[in-house]
Amino acid sequence: MMRNTDGKNKMPEAPEKTGFSRSYKRLFRNFVILTVVCSLIPLLIVGWIINRHFSEFAKERMVKAFEERVDYHRQTIELFLRERSDKLRMMASTHSKSYLSNPDNLKYVYDMFNLKSPDITDLGVIDSDGAHLAYVGPYELLDKNYAQAEWFARVMKKGLYISDMFMGFRKKPHFIIAVTRSENGSQWILRATINTDYFRSLVEDVKIGQTGEVYLVNKDGVFQTDPRGVPDIMDKTSASLGPVREGVAVSIYNKNDPQSGFSNEIVATAWLENPRWMLVVKQDYGEAFAEVTHANQASLLVLLISALTILVATVLIARLMIRMIQKRDVQAENLNKQLMQTGKMASIGELSAGVAHEINNPIAIIQTERQILLDYYKRQKPLESEEFKAQLLDSLDQINIQAHRCKRITQNLLRFSRRTHSMIETMDLNQFIREVIDLMEREARTSGIKFFPELEDGLPPVESDPSQLQQVFLNLITNAIDAHEGKSYGSVNISTRTDDSGNGVHISVADTGTGIAREHLDNIFDPFFTTKPVGKGTGLGLSICYSIIKHLGGDIIVSSRVGEGTEFRLFLPYKMPASGGEGAHQSDDNHMMKKAI
Amino acid sequence: MIKRKVLLVDDEVVFTKNMSKLLTDREYRVTAVNSGDAAISALEQEDFDVVVLDLKMPGMDGITTLREIKKLGLFTETLILTGHGSIDTALEAVKIGAYDYLTKPCEVDELIEKIDGAQIKKDSTEQQDLEGKIKRVVESPSAAFDLFDKKKKK
Repeated sequence: MMRNTDGKNKMPEAPEKTGFSRSYKRLFRNFVILTVVCSLIPLLIVGWIINRHFSEFAKERMVKAFEERVDYHRQTIELFLRERSDKLRMMASTHSKSYLSNPDNLKYVYDMFNLKSPDITDLGVIDSDGAHLAYVGPYELLDKNYAQAEWFARVMKKGLYISDMFMGFRKKPHFIIAVTRSENGSQWILRATINTDYFRSLVEDVKIGQTGEVYLVNKDGVFQTDPRGVPDIMDKTSASLGPVREGVAVSIYNKNDPQSGFSNEIVATAWLENPRWMLVVKQDYGEAFAEVTHANQASLLVLLISALTILVATVLIARLMIRMIQKRDVQAENLNKQLMQTGKMASIGELSAGVAHEINNPIAIIQTERQILLDYYKRQKPLESEEFKAQLLDSLDQINIQAHRCKRITQNLLRFSRRTHSMIETMDLNQFIREVIDLMEREARTSGIKFFPELEDGLPPVESDPSQLQQVFLNLITNAIDAHEGKSYGSVNISTRTDDSGNGVHISVADTGTGIAREHLDNIFDPFFTTKPVGKGTGLGLSICYSIIKHLGGDIIVSSRVGEGTEFRLFLPYKMPASGGEGAHQSDDNHMMKKAI
Repeated sequence: MIKRKVLLVDDEVVFTKNMSKLLTDREYRVTAVNSGDAAISALEQEDFDVVVLDLKMPGMDGITTLREIKKLGLFTETLILTGHGSIDTALEAVKIGAYDYLTKPCEVDELIEKIDGAQIKKDSTEQQDLEGKIKRVVESPSAAFDLFDKKKKK
């Protein structure tokens, strides 16, 4: 405890109290932090890791599915081209040049070709010099000679050739399939132009979300179909295609990838076998992984909700616990206070027993001295001076008064240390209180005080110590009367009431006196504490009451309002506890008593 | 009037001195000693009517002194005068055989009252004892020899 040594800490309790609540705040914070560290952080880490793994896994599956789809599409395109090539080759093999050179026959074959779907735009028979022998189709190409055309050289060399997109004589992007046949030592060519629109629809009309796009580029990076947006068919892409390879390659591009020209997209590429075109399928990244992202967000939301729940629960539990701890602390503090009070009483009791014994001897001597003087005075009458005589008598009286006062103090001290013989009797408390009131009535009347007893009828008898209780009530009532100092009249209300639980009796002694200042209430039961002027009170009355009531297994509390009055509330059990109220102290006393004798 | 003989036992020298004076002035013959041992030897040498005994003394304390006095088998009554106002200690003393107790400080008149009470009790016990002896002697004269023997022993 801090003391007012420098005068700064006028109220020593104030800083202590804030320190108290600060320590609870710290405890609360520590508890919350500890719980969060031990539960929330692992949860978040594990959640995050699982989430990562799950998204990777899901993405992998998505990519795989994408890849398979692209591969399938590539096969579809390849199959289309192969079928048309085979068909063309079969036509050339099964029909002679002379037959096909007849425009009607060629028209028939052309119709047969396009019987199921508009596969080809035109069909032509070309001799080994590059001249058109026959032509069926929408363009005027019969007079054209292809000796200089790139495809002509290639087909003459390979026997089967599928060209890249080119403009040709018709000045429109198209590609052809040409096959050669040797007949009677000379070669001729059957050439078909694939229906560009039909082929494009075959390639491009694949439903891949809203943003999906499919196109073909040749080895040189020239678009073989018409992609959406700025580049058109036959334009050249700026991006490098990389080497030709087997299978499907899937790449994910970040925003505005400078090398590839893709932006935030998933792109799958696959090379066709013949012709060496690259199938490109791309989709907006966000759309492609929308489901993964969604699942991701959902799981993160669940994680967040769990974390929040834990946090809220932690805070609530911590608050609850702190409140419980606080409550326990208050109880412990109260117990501690009681213990201190009891300890103080015990030690002062010990001290006072010694003091009482020692003080009695000098007092005894004072009294014998006085008696001797008195004897001399009475017998011999040696003093002729009236004034001296009066003074001597006065002094002798004073010796007597002071000696009696000392005796009273020591008796009180001894009583305080409970060195009195206890006689437990069955007593009618109401009757007992009435007797005490009778005893005090005269003194009260001279002070203008009236008694108002409110004693409950049919109060069960109490087993207690009448002599000690008498002292308690005399003390309390004397105090109640003294509390009216400065007031010309007042009242003292004394009431009894059975305890609701049936364990004992509640007694209240309430006065209309000046009351007790708040700062004195804590010390009111302390020995030697008094607010009465010097010589009026010993400061032992209430501490004696306290120790007696505790000894009898009861309780005493005080409440007071300055200017309005004070109330002492007592509780007395019907039966004294077997060990006595404070058995430990009793045996202490016995021990001490033996020492003292 | 026969002066009653009082033995005052207290370690407080001033107190015994003063009390001796007061009692002497009130027609008592007082011997004052300041320890239990001195009290026993005084009792062995001389007959006293009443012993006024303090309980708390250095050396042999009051209770022990009382036991020793009782061992002497005298008619002398013992009055406990103590600064220690405990009824338990006094009751113990009374149980052992003290006549009564008085707490210090006390008025000389109170003490005298008690001393007189003790005196009366002592006288009556002595009287009873004497009557008993006479009765025994009357009933069987040979018992008189015992009496003389006892007297001799004493």
